[in-house]
Amino acid sequence: MKKHLYIEMDNCIGCRSCLAACTQCGGHDERNRNYVYDVNPLVNRQTIPLMCLHCVNPACARSCPAQAIQVTPEGAVLSALVEKCIGCQNCTIACPYGIPKFDEEQNLMYKCDLCYDRTKDGIPPMCASVCPTNTLQWLTEEELQEKQERHKLGKWTASHIPDHPLEGETNVRISLPGILQGVQKLF
Amino acid sequence: MNRAFASRWARNVFLTVCGLLVMIYIGSRFFTHIDLALYGYMVGTVVFIGGFFYRFMAWGDRPPTRIILKKGMRLLFRRSTPKTAADQLVVYRFIWNRGWYRWLQHILLGWGCILSAFVTFPLVFGWMYFTMSDNGYYTVVGFGIDLVRVKADGILAFLFYNALNITAFMVIGGVCMALYRRVRNMQARAEQSFAYDFLPLYLLLFISITGLILTFNNIFLDGFAHPVMSMIHQWSVIITLIYLPFGKLAHIPFRPMSVLARNYREHYAEKAPKACRVCGTHFVSEEQSQDVVDVLKQSSLEFVTEEGYHLAELCLPCRRKYRMSRFTGVPTHQIRVKESNQNAKG
Repeated sequence: MKKHLYIEMDNCIGCRSCLAACTQCGGHDERNRNYVYDVNPLVNRQTIPLMCLHCVNPACARSCPAQAIQVTPEGAVLSALVEKCIGCQNCTIACPYGIPKFDEEQNLMYKCDLCYDRTKDGIPPMCASVCPTNTLQWLTEEELQEKQERHKLGKWTASHIPDHPLEGETNVRISLPGILQGVQKLF
Repeated sequence: MNRAFASRWARNVFLTVCGLLVMIYIGSRFFTHIDLALYGYMVGTVVFIGGFFYRFMAWGDRPPTRIILKKGMRLLFRRSTPKTAADQLVVYRFIWNRGWYRWLQHILLGWGCILSAFVTFPLVFGWMYFTMSDNGYYTVVGFGIDLVRVKADGILAFLFYNALNITAFMVIGGVCMALYRRVRNMQARAEQSFAYDFLPLYLLLFISITGLILTFNNIFLDGFAHPVMSMIHQWSVIITLIYLPFGKLAHIPFRPMSVLARNYREHYAEKAPKACRVCGTHFVSEEQSQDVVDVLKQSSLEFVTEEGYHLAELCLPCRRKYRMSRFTGVPTHQIRVKESNQNAKG
């Protein structure tokens, strides 16, 4: 069954558990591959997590001269294959979200792989499994559908909406914070 | 000239095979020192050349690959090239930085294979052979030139005779390390497949073991089953050669690209560094930023912001903050505050 990572942005309290959990995933070498950003740092404390959104047509993979970035059948855009990555850093420039990280010493790009060792078997990725506020959730298509109907928030998922906040269709779904939609959330 | 061939592939393969024939002609002193017991390897090499060009020309036609290949080749003779090449292709410094286990595994596998190739192919093409003019002394002849005279029962000669046995042990050690990692490492277990990750290891293991069995048969069994074993060994090498450009082992001939990529980045960064359109930090070269924009356009991807610049012109933190602004409407990327606590180190 296909599941999606879903980011409910206004729940984020900036605890950075997702960053800590990311370091513990198999093959992540104790380095996190995601980000948590202050939205308006000098004014309030609202934060939003930013992880790879696993584009359906990933710019990182399209710009890779070595075909090092593989896309799995589940739609996860994997980290660079260590034997293929030649360290040109095209992917870090191409990604519209600025996600890939680069290790100069190892001459290697690394990015969120949606904890493929876990999600392949239906286990939620590290970040979603530790998030204390349900900002990051691991949902089936039906659960996503249900959420949409329950909240009736209008334009809240990522895909195919005019002037939507993303640059293309993504496998990770997002819900925009209420401020942008002019709608107060229920929780 | 271009019309003489059906395709660029046909031209490249034809010219390469002709070049090889000329080299064999010269190297083997006008075909007088060809070891016909090894002719199977020669046929295998020719098929390998065909597959190699097929795979690598198809790959070189991809827009991002073409750019790095073309511009990298033009910058091949930079002063830093020898150091970069030695670091990346000889001592594998970048793999050392990924961990000693991986490095040792690569030294054993990589140098085991490369040394074997340096021994095998000169013998196959007649570029290297041994003659004995004085009793008890071998003369090593390379490309028709007498290189060294070694004592037939000396240490150097021992190393020459046993070069392939030594490299076989190196390869077996490396393969075992790689297999152990593939069984234990969680990420490897999630991503690996039989055909891509295990098959090349098994092929290398098979080659090494059949090669060692040849030696074993000669020393302990008075050459029992030697002809059969040499055939099995030869076939295993030929199959691996043919398979090489199409599987994981393709990263061996592919790796020199990383030197080209490094030169490309260094050269253009010195020439004209790119300043981020929002914060002004230098983060890449003008050239590469533009190249990426062009490459993405060819894949029908164009990330132009409302302000009229391309997202590839923003440094990474600014690009992430720009996304925040798209999510919330708050111009996060314009607020001059350093991104805080992004490394989960407390």
